[in-house]
Amino acid sequence: MAQMKWSHVIALPVLATVSAPVSATEYLSVADAQRVLIPQAQNFIPFAVTLSPAQLAQIKKASGVPQHSAQPKIWRAMNGKATIGWVIVDEVIGKHEFITYATAISPDGHVLGVEILSYRESKGGQVRDPKWRNIFRGKTVRDQFKLNKDIPNISGATLSCRNITDGVKRLLAIHALALGREG
Amino acid sequence: MRWRLVGKADLITRCRPLLGTFVEISVPDAHADAIDPAFAAIAHVQQCMSFHAPDSDLGRLRDAPVGVPVAVDRDTVAVLRVARALYDSSHGLFDVTIGRELVRDGFLPRVSALHLRQYTGCAADIEIIDDNHVCCHRPMLIDLGGIAKGYAVDRAVEFLIAHQVDEGLVNAGGDLRSFGERVWPIALRDADDVIRWTIDLPACALASSANLHDRRRSRGRIRTAHIGDGRKAVAADHRISVIADRCIIADAMTKIAMASPALAVPMFNTYGAHLLSDPNEGMM
Repeated sequence: MAQMKWSHVIALPVLATVSAPVSATEYLSVADAQRVLIPQAQNFIPFAVTLSPAQLAQIKKASGVPQHSAQPKIWRAMNGKATIGWVIVDEVIGKHEFITYATAISPDGHVLGVEILSYRESKGGQVRDPKWRNIFRGKTVRDQFKLNKDIPNISGATLSCRNITDGVKRLLAIHALALGREG
Repeated sequence: MRWRLVGKADLITRCRPLLGTFVEISVPDAHADAIDPAFAAIAHVQQCMSFHAPDSDLGRLRDAPVGVPVAVDRDTVAVLRVARALYDSSHGLFDVTIGRELVRDGFLPRVSALHLRQYTGCAADIEIIDDNHVCCHRPMLIDLGGIAKGYAVDRAVEFLIAHQVDEGLVNAGGDLRSFGERVWPIALRDADDVIRWTIDLPACALASSANLHDRRRSRGRIRTAHIGDGRKAVAADHRISVIADRCIIADAMTKIAMASPALAVPMFNTYGAHLLSDPNEGMM
């Protein structure tokens, strides 16, 4: 990297950080996620399922993780009269995070895609430096909660997506038990 | 998600679970169509360089007989070339054959056929034959972990630039790279998980590493996923952040700086990388 560019970085290294105790990043709405995951579908029809206690136990056995809700949020992706896939919107709760995500599953039980809809963290930072650099023109300290939304990019130790990987396994188990024959 | 800085085009950000972490891609609204293929470039790197998947290039390299050339993807060769160069210039400190230690300490799954003690190879035993063939001259467990992540970010950014996207940012769990005229606000998550600082980043790559909250104890020793001199685990209490042109270099340099600051300084010069220390401690 050219030295000049780097001196640009160190010229304004730090903004006062004013983090809210809760930060949330919203990526996609459910409707947007449906379209992104199965773009060829003409419409998405809500599909009501109530899992029996026996099914919930089977899902845990098959996926290794407990399914808490007996009524998962499921949409059937339709193209004319044909079912071309399923979209399930689910949530996972980690140590500090609460993640909503959508998974698309093909009629024969393959993952077509996973999109994160929102990522909320319950643990934020603290005010370290009260001196506010007016780097965002027109914004003030009072905009602190808004600021948090404007800084979605974080660099630090890598966060694991293990929760989501386990969650997808659970959704595949739901598909196998409750949706497989519906297609 | 849509967000906007004063006087700039609206950005759209999407996020997918890839490379074992959360990958975010931000581009201007008008280029939203480029996001899917950019994610696909990252998914391709994951497919080639996954330690876990037996059918990945790494899986086939560890299962192949010693001394037999293995056909692998060009991307895998590109990453291994960087890994070899870093091994040489760090006098063996940066070694991608630490899969053995990471499996032993429980940071990676036991996927290997042989007893761990039989994986005696180091990065010097990796021979790059051509753009599609690699040969391991001793049994080894290669883990490309962080540098594959950095490389995936680079590939996605290169794809976006090649497709006329004028500005954007790709962030694979903290390994990130931005391009275009925009200056990006980036929050730094410290080793204790608290965000204390934000920086304004022009077009460049930034990677951070920390292991304060990812440690295990076995046989009386602290184990981390960061392996240093003498193949011993490095326990660092602070976050290390490095800026470079390419994300693969930024990521690798965080590991080297964590393991040996003295060795890192001349390497930073060679690779045009910069250590980003806490503002109250000044710059290195």
